[in-house]
Amino acid sequence: MIYNNNKKIFERKASEIRIRALEDAVRAGKGHLGGSFSCVELLVSLYYGKFIRISSNKPKDPNRDFFIMGKGHACLSLYPILLDLGFISKDRYLEYGKNGSSLGGQLDVTIPGVEYNTGSLGHALGVCAGIAKAAQIDNRKNRAISLLGDAECDEGSIWEAIMFAAEHKLNNLLCIIDRNRLSVTQKIDSEILFGDFEEKMNLFEWDCYTIDGHNYTEIFEALDKFSSSDRPTMILANTIKGKGVSFMENDVKWHHTMPSMNEVEIARQELNLEKV
Amino acid sequence: MSLHQIDIRDAFFDQLYLKASSDKNIIVLSADMDAFSLRRFAKDYPDQYINVGVSEQNMINIASGLALSGKTVFCYSIASFATLRCFEQIKVNICSLNLPVAIIGAGAGFSFGYDGPTHHGHQDLSSMRLLPEMTILELSSNDLAQKAVDYSIEIKSPVYIRLDKGLFPEWKNHKISFSKGFRILKPLQKINIITNGYMTRKVLNLVEKLNSNEITYGVIDLFCIKPFPADFYKDIICKSKIIISVEESCVTGGLGSALSEVIAQNEKECKLLVIGAPDKQFIEYGSREWFHKKYNLDEDGILNVITNRLGR
Repeated sequence: MIYNNNKKIFERKASEIRIRALEDAVRAGKGHLGGSFSCVELLVSLYYGKFIRISSNKPKDPNRDFFIMGKGHACLSLYPILLDLGFISKDRYLEYGKNGSSLGGQLDVTIPGVEYNTGSLGHALGVCAGIAKAAQIDNRKNRAISLLGDAECDEGSIWEAIMFAAEHKLNNLLCIIDRNRLSVTQKIDSEILFGDFEEKMNLFEWDCYTIDGHNYTEIFEALDKFSSSDRPTMILANTIKGKGVSFMENDVKWHHTMPSMNEVEIARQELNLEKV
Repeated sequence: MSLHQIDIRDAFFDQLYLKASSDKNIIVLSADMDAFSLRRFAKDYPDQYINVGVSEQNMINIASGLALSGKTVFCYSIASFATLRCFEQIKVNICSLNLPVAIIGAGAGFSFGYDGPTHHGHQDLSSMRLLPEMTILELSSNDLAQKAVDYSIEIKSPVYIRLDKGLFPEWKNHKISFSKGFRILKPLQKINIITNGYMTRKVLNLVEKLNSNEITYGVIDLFCIKPFPADFYKDIICKSKIIISVEESCVTGGLGSALSEVIAQNEKECKLLVIGAPDKQFIEYGSREWFHKKYNLDEDGILNVITNRLGR
């Protein structure tokens, strides 16, 4: 498995991303750190695990996989990856947060490798279902992968897409939910939606796997199962909002609050690359 | 049957059928909305037709994904639901990405009059006018409907088309140019009536009667209300002393509203009289003609408004 041979690299990438996200947010004075930190291992797996088949040399290759981050406000964790993999230049990267910047608090299609203008929740899965359907019609191998927030799943259009995907047996459609249990304003511990989630999704004729979203072994096992399924696949990734910085973890405050200088120092120490 | 004798929906979908036969990238999505000629499309091109069910938001999202993958998509639903129900999906997932998706709204104006305010199609054009990337077409004749299909495919960007039902025979000797966006159906006079869609025939009938008297009216079919035709100001407004707009949509944001913006911004001394549906949700039930009579959109009503307001 790709992870076993690259364990150190993946862990180092994750630390680098969190540090960059922190420094970028501090420099700009804005950003969504909590939700950016919760999905770092997922993004590392998708990009450095070479799961998303897309190249910065040809980001519009018609045979590519399409990745849409429904939770585009977590872009602070994606920008370092796009920089590292050559999708965006260092100059553009450093524009983040400036007035008139070409890199903002949401993702948009002017950024190479970005397929969709994010910001409004609940659309990504449906758009991905359309992409997956087009590939199915044309007998092409593209896959459509969306990463949603758990609070986002209150949006009804997601459930319209879930039913559409099942009816059309879109086995090239993958939906990952970053289940960090916090929305902007509150804890979302209710089991109404996410209790017995695998069973519920199976009833919707989707495959579904619940994993630890910070555990690479579990992430890659679930991704492997998607690749061999004949149904659409949902991965419910249990994560920790603010993961990696002790005082940010599981605290509703850190959806978009900026740390004080003192807090920044503590966060830097905790995210210290030397520890990896 | 000639184009002259068929339902405007058939004129539209038959042309779409023809285009789809040679372009397999054309896909039709329906939110469980039926049309006679669409059944043939669904039957003969099952790979190019998807009924997404009663889910307009999902229809637009699926259209977005299909279009991102190179498809040209036509979405079909009731005008009110195809626009207002999924307005944000259209704004974000179609327009902000400038995708080749045509949204076809059935049930123009008060044509679903008995079905209550949820089904009235009088706010579709106003709402779509808010979207910068949108082209908006309101069709008054079968040949226009037929050509609107070709144009929607050609421009590779978002289009909203209000599609009526019933007979809309074409007028002879009137060339259609979508890049021009309007056509003069009765020669320009000092007083000109600007209309489109279903109201066009009504206005022409009325003017036929009036023009036998001493005052004569020009009639212009402004079938592309967005983008607002570039030459319209120069060719029509500048040559008019009085403009009367007649539309089967709410006066808030519709055809008359678009004209008022152009006239005001150009500081033209041209009087404008806007005739349309009032800014209202109509919690009442009746036929299209019943609504038109009640709200002065029938021939007598239009004439009365003109007479009262212009003192003629």
